[in-house]
Amino acid sequence: MTDATTDTAPAEFKMPNFLDACTAWHQAAEKMQSFNRLTTTDAKIGQTPKELVWTLNKAKLYRYVPVVPEKDRKPVPLLMVFAIMNRPHVLDLRPGHSFVEYMLREGYDLYLMDWGEPGPEDAKLKFDDYVLDYLPRAIRKFKSVSGAKEFSILGWCLGALISTLYASLRPDDGLKNLILLTAPLDFSDKTAGGFTRWTSNAAFNPDLIVEKLGNVPGEMIDSGAKMLKPIENYLGSYLMLWDNIDNPKTVEAWHAMNTWVRDIIPMAGGAYQQLINEFYKENRLMEDSLVIRGEQVHLSHLKANLLNVIAEADHITPPCQSERVMELVGSQDKEVFRVRGGHIGIMAGRGAEKTTWPHIESWLAARSS
Amino acid sequence: MSQNNNETFNPFDPSAMFKDVRNAGMDAMAKTMVELVNTDAYAEATGAMLDAWLTSSGPFRKTLEQSMTQTLANLNLPTRDEVTRLAERMTNLEMRLDDIDAKLDDCLRALQSFSSPGKSKSSEGRKK
Repeated sequence: MTDATTDTAPAEFKMPNFLDACTAWHQAAEKMQSFNRLTTTDAKIGQTPKELVWTLNKAKLYRYVPVVPEKDRKPVPLLMVFAIMNRPHVLDLRPGHSFVEYMLREGYDLYLMDWGEPGPEDAKLKFDDYVLDYLPRAIRKFKSVSGAKEFSILGWCLGALISTLYASLRPDDGLKNLILLTAPLDFSDKTAGGFTRWTSNAAFNPDLIVEKLGNVPGEMIDSGAKMLKPIENYLGSYLMLWDNIDNPKTVEAWHAMNTWVRDIIPMAGGAYQQLINEFYKENRLMEDSLVIRGEQVHLSHLKANLLNVIAEADHITPPCQSERVMELVGSQDKEVFRVRGGHIGIMAGRGAEKTTWPHIESWLAARSS
Repeated sequence: MSQNNNETFNPFDPSAMFKDVRNAGMDAMAKTMVELVNTDAYAEATGAMLDAWLTSSGPFRKTLEQSMTQTLANLNLPTRDEVTRLAERMTNLEMRLDDIDAKLDDCLRALQSFSSPGKSKSSEGRKK
């Protein structure tokens, strides 16, 4: 046995007897079986009860069942707008670790915009459609159901981009508070982040992708995102699971996150083309030259109170892509909140319920009366 | 890591055998790979590969689509394009319905404000 006082002593080789060998192999086989189950099956995610209040094409608007009596609820409801190329379940990952649960407990009337999975018939959908057809209609219904004249929006990733465009184009629609999470808005730095570098290269042709494939396959988007950090995503994540397979808490968290990561959906071809050409390559939003269905988007028209949450270690939306918007918006009440963590980790990671969620909640609570 | 060194080496645990080596090399490998994928050469290479794949698979895909369309037409079945067009029309219809729903909501609100002046209630009851 290794002496307890010699911490740095090298591992000692002990020739195991037959029984030890059998036990070790049995344990390894069990570990392998668990590993296989966890990497190939789905955990139950997005379990907080909700009701469908509106649908249009694939888009759905849900209202989460409130857990706080009506008299104690915040009067300004909150609409969560997630990205268009992922499922929104990451906001409600698992019981006991869910942003949705947290906000319901704090007394918010909570709604979720789920864009759904685009089919071949949606290949021409653009941001114009999401911003001026889908979102305003969902908001109309949301206001009608909640009975509120004012509301808040929390947009994450491309959902934040859509929310920003909406808030700039429809500043008088009743939007009181806007929370942007890891919002990709400013693409002036062509060397910031892998996506910007790849898409700004002349060899990358989004028009050809859309022409040949219609919608951009989820696998293509997923592998692109994973290739930003290939070792961590293709190897590190699984090794972490293997090392911690006997720790139920870590396993549960990993399984839930992996279920969300595996559930990939395509992105509407038109929106993809627009994202690469008009945002990544030409940076039209920041240049004040973006036109959405004939209407020019001016960030200065955005008047809502603004909380801009930036993930300092974000490799998908590097911080510089979310920073400059603060100088251009017309909001009087605006704040940047920087969080240590990555694109998803700041909201779904272990530290989220101690840092990001309370800050968002307290900022919103102060402006939801 | 000292924690690993305290454990007795077990030749029957496949993960333990290369754990130290792995931990030592992993960070360096991850950093190298991130640097690699962030180069213009990588961007150009992937762009060119994607381009080549899409261009070369195009004629094959077109031939397949043509023969499938022909087969479906012979079987009196709708083609993908026809189903897509139908779905687009469905979405347009849904939008019209949504417009009507919005107008109904407005009417209901107006009626409520007439029936109980001074109280403008929301149409909470009219949920889909």
